[in-house]
Formats: sequence, structure tokens, C-alpha cells
Amino acid sequence: MLRTMTLALLAGVFAVPAMAQDRWDGADSLDTNPLACDGSAGEMAMKEYDGGQPAAMSDKMGQEITLIDVPKLVGIGYFAATTKGQAEAAAELGNVNVSTDGPTEANIDDQITFIDNYITQGVDGILFAANDPVAIAPVLKKALGEGIHVVGYDANSEPDAREWFVNQAEFNGIGKAMIDAMAEEIGADGSFAIVTSTFTTPNQARWIAEMQAYQAACHPNMKWLETVEAQEDNNLSFNQATTLINKYGDDLDGIFGMTSVATPASAEAVTQAGACGEIAVVGLATPNAMKPYVASDCVKSVVLWNPVDLGYAAVYVMRAVVDGKLKPGDKSVEAGKLGTLSVVNGSEILLGAPFIFTKDNINDFDF
Amino acid sequence: MSDTTAPRMRLTVTHELVLLIALFVSLAVLSVTAERFMSVGNLLNQGRLMTEVALVALPMTFIIITAGIDLSVGSMFGLSAIMLGVFWHNLGVPLPAAMALALVVGTAAGFFNGLLITRLRVPPLIMTLATLALYRGLAEGISQARSVRGYPEWFFVLGQGEVLGVPTQLWILVVAIIIFWIVLSRTTFGRSLYAIGHNETAARYSAIKVDRIKLIIYSLSGFMSGLAGVIFVSRVSTTRSDMGTGLELDVIAAVVLGGTSIFGGVGTIAGTVLGFTLIQLLKNGLALTGVKGDATIVVIGTVLILSILITNFLQHRRGGDG
Repeated sequence: MLRTMTLALLAGVFAVPAMAQDRWDGADSLDTNPLACDGSAGEMAMKEYDGGQPAAMSDKMGQEITLIDVPKLVGIGYFAATTKGQAEAAAELGNVNVSTDGPTEANIDDQITFIDNYITQGVDGILFAANDPVAIAPVLKKALGEGIHVVGYDANSEPDAREWFVNQAEFNGIGKAMIDAMAEEIGADGSFAIVTSTFTTPNQARWIAEMQAYQAACHPNMKWLETVEAQEDNNLSFNQATTLINKYGDDLDGIFGMTSVATPASAEAVTQAGACGEIAVVGLATPNAMKPYVASDCVKSVVLWNPVDLGYAAVYVMRAVVDGKLKPGDKSVEAGKLGTLSVVNGSEILLGAPFIFTKDNINDFDF
Repeated sequence: MSDTTAPRMRLTVTHELVLLIALFVSLAVLSVTAERFMSVGNLLNQGRLMTEVALVALPMTFIIITAGIDLSVGSMFGLSAIMLGVFWHNLGVPLPAAMALALVVGTAAGFFNGLLITRLRVPPLIMTLATLALYRGLAEGISQARSVRGYPEWFFVLGQGEVLGVPTQLWILVVAIIIFWIVLSRTTFGRSLYAIGHNETAARYSAIKVDRIKLIIYSLSGFMSGLAGVIFVSRVSTTRSDMGTGLELDVIAAVVLGGTSIFGGVGTIAGTVLGFTLIQLLKNGLALTGVKGDATIVVIGTVLILSILITNFLQHRRGGDG
């Protein structure tokens, strides 16, 4: 009796992943949309504008505006970099005042309170990176209701709670950049493993699904060995990467790090195993964490986006909205040195292809 | 009994006066430096934002008066919020029933704290430090770090709506303040709390049911944390397992600022009300004046230290007189 139950239970456990169309572990089961192998722009499904609009249009066209930027938290390099980009854009434009203020911990309640206070204080526009897309929506809608312009970047809210969102990278763009970088290092028939946070973390699951779709289409002979979970824990990531190296030995040509913790930890594991040059590490990470490994030639490419450009674009988008140059239904917007950025998914502005940090440029960044 | 209560009453009135003066000074200064501070809309909105901390600060006052502490309030808050989402979304319980069950979960969590504190004689600090981690872990494990969203429109009346022009949750807070104030200052139960805080052994010998009272106040703390959690879910329209992280510090700061002694035996609801109001208005007023977030925390910390110094000074002087 007990044995039958255990068997049934085991069968159930194994049946679930098998049903998910043989996806790699850690990938979600949503539809994928791989980019073309040569990077040419694919068919973009056009979507109606789905953002919100401020209640009373204040006419500040061409006039000086005051913006407040409320990131997820302050005091970390990443958002210091977006602030830097915002200041650059404001200096170029000359008619924008922007300052950053926010919670010292990524806390939804604190962030809401900050935005609420700035609504009371009265600003022309709010830039935000949401700690939670739904929780932040009521206070952003309140801002729109008071005639304040709202533009998001880095982390979105519900679409109707803001006018535009500057999207740093689409999932399929990251998927392509990761697989292409790996293929270049380990060849068209190399084998690789993945260190991720957990199988159910939404962003990572989406990226892995897009990586698989792109690999199947553009690098069909590469071989996926295994995906391991490492939370976002430094020690665990190191241990998991070390286990992969020992388990697969010469069969393992590369490791993908899916989080900013897993990538440097995997690089450290490869370094300590003395396998630099034999096992490639490609992953999402911030430049500061990767500088030692890039300097020692153990890691050749770190995939991310450029947060300075992200903050820069957010200010240009806000200026364009205030000046009436970016209206619902428009297909693109001018963003200074970044050129023309295109509108995707209805009310999002795509920053561009992901940024690859290499030995040549990584020292230009400090976050 | 009356001999010992008389000077204590005078002392706490003094501390409350200090706070009241501080409150009026802050109001005066802030209304000059920030033009948009002194508006009915802003002040009511601040009431909305402080309700969660305030609701939890009331039972915390009871607990600290008995020389106890409850560090697990933020985790009970988060656990109740998560269970509201789980009951409603995953188990299909009707939302009103799910709200009631979330309160039951909060109360049960508080009851468990009280049970181990009274039965196993675990110090409240240790016990609630353990359940701070335990309940947060449960919340994260049960929710699998997934949010529950899409609550029906009527549910948001609680956290985002208004009744007679005043935020809904502020009405709840006012009722709660009145009940807690009456219980503490007008009932035997309230006087027993002071007795326990002054000298627990003496209270036991005076036939006060110390364990039963502790069990009640820790359960009450769980219930109020659960209530605050449900209101918070309604205010932010989503459920997340990290809700209420760090709540215990805001709550304890408000209670201590209100003059409740961490050594027990001293404290009033009026003091606590002044405490959380002062902190909220300072935070808001400074932000409107243009002070950045990190500097605001520094000011709050300074106010806390100053208020304790002033109280100590007054206590010391009084000790010298007597």
C-alpha cells in the first residue's frame, strides 16, 4: 500500500516536468519569441497603447520641469548609475531638474510613502523603478490623477498606472545575447550547464525559456546538461558550480550564471578549480563583481544593460512626453545620444540590445 | 496601590507633555517650511499611511508595560497577509471569510508566542526573535515567493477608500485607540499589566493571573498584526511574503518614544498615540521640506534619543526631589 502510494507520488512528481514540453529545468512554460539568428528585427506584434494618462495636461512644453526619481532603493551602485544617466540627460537638455530620493531598503511600503510625499509636494513628473508592479499602482494612479507625468524604468508597474516604461532589455534579447556569447566561446557543439536562482523565479525562468528557444533555432548542436538552483546565495552558488565542474569534468564547456550572484560565484568556482580557459562563464552580472575575473581572462563576456543609458533614456522620454513629442500610438522617440528608440508592447520603450561588458569597456563602469 | 500609582501618573503626564510640546513645535516649524504640509488632505493621508504601525503599537504598549517585547509582529503581519491571499486565491474561500481566517492565523501565531513564553518560561525577546524568523519563513514557504493579486474592487475600500471624507482605516484606528485606552486606564486588566511590569513575582502572589494575561496580550498582538496586515493588503492591492519586514522596529520606536518604559510598569496609550503621530508627521514634514530619505531617518533617531534623555532627566530630578 505504502509502496504503491510512494510510486504514484514519484510518478506524479516526474510527470509534471515531462508535461512541460521538455523544457530545460528552470524555464517557464509560457510562449517564447526567439529573435532572428542574424539579429535582424523580427515581426513585432503591434499592440495598442495601454498606458495611463494624467488627468489634466499641464502645459509645460519647452519650459523648465522638476522631476523626482524614486528607484527601488538608494545607496547601491546600480541605481547610482541610473541617477548619473539622468543627470547627464538633464544637463544636455538644460530645462530639466531631476533629483533622486528613495528608501534605503527595497521596501514597497517605504517607496509608496516617498512617492506619496512628492505628490503632495508637487512635481511635474515622477520617474520610478517599482519594487512591486501592483502595490505601486494606486499611488502612481493618484499622481496621474493630479496631473503629474509618470514614466517608469528598470522595473515596471501595471501599464495603466504610468504613461511609459523604459524597458532595459526584452527577454528574447537577453536570451540571444547569452547564447551567442556562449556559442562564440565554446563553439557550435559545446555543452553547458546553468546556475539559476530557483526554478520558479519569474525573470530567470523567462530568460531560460527564451535561451532555449533561441538555441534550438540558431545553435542546434549545443548541448544543455543541467540546470541547478542556488537561490541568490553566494556560497550555495559557488558550491553548485563546483559540483557541476566535478560532476561533468571534461564534458562541461561552459556555465551560464542567471543572477548577479550566481555569475561571479561560478567564475570563482572555475578559477579555484584551475579551469579558466577550459570552462567558459557567461552570465548576467554587474561589472564591479566581475572585474577580477574579466581582468584575469577567466570571463570574457558579462551580459547586462547599461544602467547609465537607462536613466538617460528615462529623462529624455519624460521630456518628450511633456513636450508632446511622444504621444499614445507613436512608434518611436528621440533620446539624445542614444538616437531613436522604438516603442514595443504598446507603451514600453526599448533601450536596445543588451550591453556586453568585456575587458575593453568594463573599467568604464562603477556599479 | 494608590501610593505607587500617584507619582507614576504624574511622571507619565510629564513625558506626554514633553511629547505634546514637541508635536506642536514640529507642526509649527513644518507648516512654515513646507507650505503643503498643513492641509487637511495631507494630514488625513498621513493618517492612512500610519494606521498599520499604529494598530500594532497599541498591543505592543500593553506588552512592553509588562516588561515583555514582541519582535515577531512584522512576521505575523506578513504571514496573515499571505494567508489572506492563499485562502482566497488558492483555496477559493470567499474573501470576507478569508479576511476572518487571516485574523485567526495572526491570533494563533500570537497565541503560540504567548503559550511558549508562559509555559516554557522562554524570555519574550528570545521567543519572538525565533518566531520572527519562523513566521517569515512560513510566509515565504507557503507563498513560494509568489504574489496574489486581482482582489475585487470592494476590498480596496478598507485600505484606499474613505468613509465620510476620512480614510476608512483611520476610523478603525480611532475605535481601537478608544478600546485600548479604556482597557489600560479603566479596568482591572489594565492595572494588572502595570503590576506585572513592576514586579511579576509580587503580582503572582497578589493572585493576578499573570500567565493568562500574558497569553491574552500576545494573542492580541497577533490579532492586531493580522488586522494591520489585511488593511495593508487592501491599501497596496497585492500580497507579498516580504510585507511588514522591519515593522517591529517602527512599532517599538513609536511605543518607546511615547514614554513606555522598556523595563515595564510605565506607559500609556496616549503616549503611544503621540509617539506614532509625531514620527509620521516628522517623516512627512521633513520629506515635504526637501530633506532626503536617509537624513530623515537620522532625525527620527535623534528625536528618539532626545526624548529618552529628557524623560531620564525628569525621572532623575524627580528621584532627587523624593
